[in-house]
Amino acid sequence: MSKQIKKIAIYGKGGIGKSTTTSNISAALVEAGYKVLQFGCDPKSDSTNTLRNGKYIPTVLDLLRKKSKVDAHEAIFEGFKGVYCVEAGGPAPGVGCAGRGIITAVELLKQQNIFEELDLDFVIFDVLGDVVCGGFAVPIREGIAEHVFTVSSSDFMSIYASNNLMKGIEKYSNSGGALFGGIIANSINTSYQKAIIDDFVKKTSTQVVEYVPRSITVTQAELSGHTTIEAAPKSQQAEVYRNLARKIAKHTESRVPTPLETDQLREWSAQWADQLLAIEAGEVRGEKESI
Amino acid sequence: MVKTLNLKTPVVESREQRLGTIVSWEGKASELVELSAYSGGCGGCTLCELSSPFTQGSVCSEQMVECQAGHVREAVLIQHSPIGCAAGQVAYNSLYRNGLKMRNKPVENIRVISTNLQERDMVFGGVDKLRQSIHDAWERYHPKAIFIGSSCATAIIGDDIDSVASEFTEELGIPVVPMHCEGFRSKHWSTGFDSTQHGILRQIVNRHPKKQEDLVNVINLWGSDVFTPMLAELNLRVNYVIDLATVDDLAQMSEAACTIGFCNTLSSYLATGLEQEFGVPQVKAPMPYGFQGTDAWLREIGKVTHREELVEKYITKKRAEVKPKLVELRKKLKGLRGLSATGSAYSHGLISVLRELGIESDGSLVFHHDPVYDSGDPRQDSLAQLVHQYGDVQSFNVSNRQQFQFYILLKNIKPDFIIIRHNGLAPLASRMGIPAVPLGDEHLAVGYDGMLHVGEIILDVIAHTKFHKNLAAHVKLPYSKWWLEQNDPYILSKNPELIYQD
Repeated sequence: MSKQIKKIAIYGKGGIGKSTTTSNISAALVEAGYKVLQFGCDPKSDSTNTLRNGKYIPTVLDLLRKKSKVDAHEAIFEGFKGVYCVEAGGPAPGVGCAGRGIITAVELLKQQNIFEELDLDFVIFDVLGDVVCGGFAVPIREGIAEHVFTVSSSDFMSIYASNNLMKGIEKYSNSGGALFGGIIANSINTSYQKAIIDDFVKKTSTQVVEYVPRSITVTQAELSGHTTIEAAPKSQQAEVYRNLARKIAKHTESRVPTPLETDQLREWSAQWADQLLAIEAGEVRGEKESI
Repeated sequence: MVKTLNLKTPVVESREQRLGTIVSWEGKASELVELSAYSGGCGGCTLCELSSPFTQGSVCSEQMVECQAGHVREAVLIQHSPIGCAAGQVAYNSLYRNGLKMRNKPVENIRVISTNLQERDMVFGGVDKLRQSIHDAWERYHPKAIFIGSSCATAIIGDDIDSVASEFTEELGIPVVPMHCEGFRSKHWSTGFDSTQHGILRQIVNRHPKKQEDLVNVINLWGSDVFTPMLAELNLRVNYVIDLATVDDLAQMSEAACTIGFCNTLSSYLATGLEQEFGVPQVKAPMPYGFQGTDAWLREIGKVTHREELVEKYITKKRAEVKPKLVELRKKLKGLRGLSATGSAYSHGLISVLRELGIESDGSLVFHHDPVYDSGDPRQDSLAQLVHQYGDVQSFNVSNRQQFQFYILLKNIKPDFIIIRHNGLAPLASRMGIPAVPLGDEHLAVGYDGMLHVGEIILDVIAHTKFHKNLAAHVKLPYSKWWLEQNDPYILSKNPELIYQD
């Protein structure tokens, strides 16, 4: 009987730092002695690059392209401290169906019992957060991931993406799908950025798991093809990621979020736009006096 | 037993993924035996398959779900698809009604519903329509189980039929079984059989069985009831599954003493799954065709159900009864040349029967080839058994119902008749002056009597050969002069550039 595997999905708008954050969580977890598999679910196939010296790996769908009988083991590669790396892969931009690609790749690994066979503690799906079709929702369905986190900055487009994802989770939550663990607030360096995120999680009955500041250390590590944990293990930023990984490892209770309706979201962001203008003008008002 | 089938996920593994199935190959049967997995295969790779730049229409996995799940009595099948996928309902309704009549069951129509997805469902998702259809099915029929078959359209947009099925299993208190049978998932439609059987194994078979030591699961389609009298002589009762069975019949499969079938292609997944998950032994023996196959098959049933003596008595009795009649038939059939064109394992059985009848059968068409069956047990290597017991088949062709290839095959082999089970093949043969022996009733060839049945039908059919010759003299085939002159059915696979010539 294999042990209980903790399955987590991390979503986020493209370019928000989702793969950076996910890879650092994976790195921190393997560093702490856990067995981890990171599964990149983005046709760009670069989720696990920084766990493998900046190198791309052949994807599950590359294998399928070559032959009709696929041995999923051939798509698993070891990276930093033995972390297992898998990329779903997908079609070139503008052709085929990337969502179906994710369905096919996830199913192939499930059918071949890969997660159980590797005796894992964690499987972390790193998924493109613009959940544009059913395929991108596969990791949050029944029997795949149990907990979902989103990476979001305080930018409104990123918050919209998180809100959309919550809608998906709310939909699947009735039928045994994943529940929402919280938001990993990325690039949070000022108090107003923190205030925006805090306000959003309050409105949607969820929580912030960790505030991750924007840091040049991360950029330097990425450019050298490594995670911050590997490239700058003693840095303050590495400690932020370790804290985040510890919180995720301990996390047990996820919830059904209460996403905002489109009109509510528009209204909410308009209020914040007013406040930001006021901040820029040096005006200090009401409850946001502390900003 | 090593677990070979993964029943944890709702999605069945395709045949090519599990077994290395191929759909195009040519050579001698003996060569295919050597290349197949029972003989070690060709160095661990999948079989060397011919790949064609051109293919004619064939069959879809989803249709196999229609013909199995759609034929379970007291159940409803919902096709979660655009309406085109429901085109097969007409033909499957006729098969269902005929099958019920042949088995003396009350005749009724199939209960198959299409969610009839349209443009807006493709854009916005179709699960609400699926929910509506499940409600409708429940209101109209109060079924004991509801099957949901996916389609290419719903699989591409990623409609989550699994969650909906779980939701209604709880709400209605009956199994609501999702089946992932979208046609593009597998190059061969027999994955559709596996998809249905996978769903039934996961959700319908009774997990707390009370053993019935005289019950035998017979995995079949709609054939006439030849198994009941045969097994009654061994004090065994028949549980026919999946077609024409009730939901309770399916549930009690775990209670049976063993599982048998008439064709490894059809029964491989379910029989192996019943053994793996419920400990119901699969009878691992040659298929019941010809003397040797039937002897060995019966003896294995006797061994598994502890009825060895009864089996020996039955074998002696039937051999004595059938042999003199067979001698007579052989005289009448002498000199005839026949070609079988059917599903894979069934064809191995039919060629054995033809050869028992003294009919020359040196060419064959099978729709696909499984290099191994799910049990992995060499006692089920039906192609090797055919070659070893009855000799080689010189022109053994794997071709997935491709008419253009079949034309050349018939032209080269010039059989006196073809023996088939599927539609679409007889008209071509007819137009070439060759009559077809249609075994719509797949049980006709089974066992000792099967040899006599097949011999008699062949005599009936070749009696009107002149009609087909006349037809051939007055019709033109639709092929170009260039194709009509070809002698190699696989020339396009070997020289794909030819397809672009003027």
